[in-house]
Amino acid sequence: MNTKLHISIAAIFLGLAFSTASMAWLEKGGERDEALGLTPDLENGVDVYEVCAACHLTEGWGTKEGTFPQLAGQLKGVLVKQLADIREGNRDNPTMYPFALPESIGDAQALADVVAYIEKLPMNPDNGKGEWAAGTAEFEQGKKLYQDNCVKCHGEQGEGNLKEFYPLIQGQHYNYMLRQFEWIRDGKRRNANPDMVEQIKSFTDKDMQMVINYVSRIPVPKEKLAPSKDWLNPDFD
Amino acid sequence: MTQSKLIPLLSAAALLLASSPLSAMAADGATLYKTKTCSACHGKDGKTPLMPNYPKVAGQNSAYALQQMKDIKSGARNNGQTASMKGVMHLVTDEEMQVLSDYLATLTP
Repeated sequence: MNTKLHISIAAIFLGLAFSTASMAWLEKGGERDEALGLTPDLENGVDVYEVCAACHLTEGWGTKEGTFPQLAGQLKGVLVKQLADIREGNRDNPTMYPFALPESIGDAQALADVVAYIEKLPMNPDNGKGEWAAGTAEFEQGKKLYQDNCVKCHGEQGEGNLKEFYPLIQGQHYNYMLRQFEWIRDGKRRNANPDMVEQIKSFTDKDMQMVINYVSRIPVPKEKLAPSKDWLNPDFD
Repeated sequence: MTQSKLIPLLSAAALLLASSPLSAMAADGATLYKTKTCSACHGKDGKTPLMPNYPKVAGQNSAYALQQMKDIKSGARNNGQTASMKGVMHLVTDEEMQVLSDYLATLTP
């Protein structure tokens, strides 16, 4: 075997290693970009959403105890990324996996339709919160941890960043966020952003509870919220 | 109260007593089937599953269904597609599993 061949084989392996590493966080192109570039049909979005509603509820509010996250109001790029990651096996979620498959949800157009619909749903005014109210030492410490570690990417109010695929976290259920945070810290959530894994690696369990408690209590701007916690989605009656 | 008035009243009360636990259970079963997200995978009617390899559960024997639910929740059964279902089983208590399995048995297969 000549040297040239050795080099090209090494290059192929190196390329594979890099593509695997980058895929864990963000695979550009493909159906993600395609779905985000399409013009959404909101009416079809309602039809597609019906399959999601069986767990995330017709309001998109998930469950307060945190088994199912709130989707309402989430940035569409984040929704597309997570759906694509789950259906490509890049985020382990055996309960959701079959629902994310093309035969359940549909093609890139269906993805575009459903995420545009979800993004516009009014949010739950009564999300699950941590135990420490404003003014407690734990709340204040959580706020400090947030300012020091999270604000640069997730924003002052936890509003996220559409362009960078950073999720909106304001108004999310405490238990859901706590579980994801722990999985990201401990390497269980494979599509985590490596910068976040690095940022939070020294967080203790108590730090984690305090920072997530704070995030669960960031007020959601009124114009994004449903008028009451008893609001029902009129698209499904 | 005369006897003629008492008898219909008593029979109405008896009917109410006899029928209410049953109808309450049926309603609870149907509600639980939806709110515990069973319908998401097994279909609204229990016989139109989301995936071709997911089981139809309508008309399933109550004792069998109950045992599978308990075993999937505890992890004693962890083959097949149980990983999908285990993710939601912490939402369901033993009592609710009983109501659900009785409800499934009443559905037409």
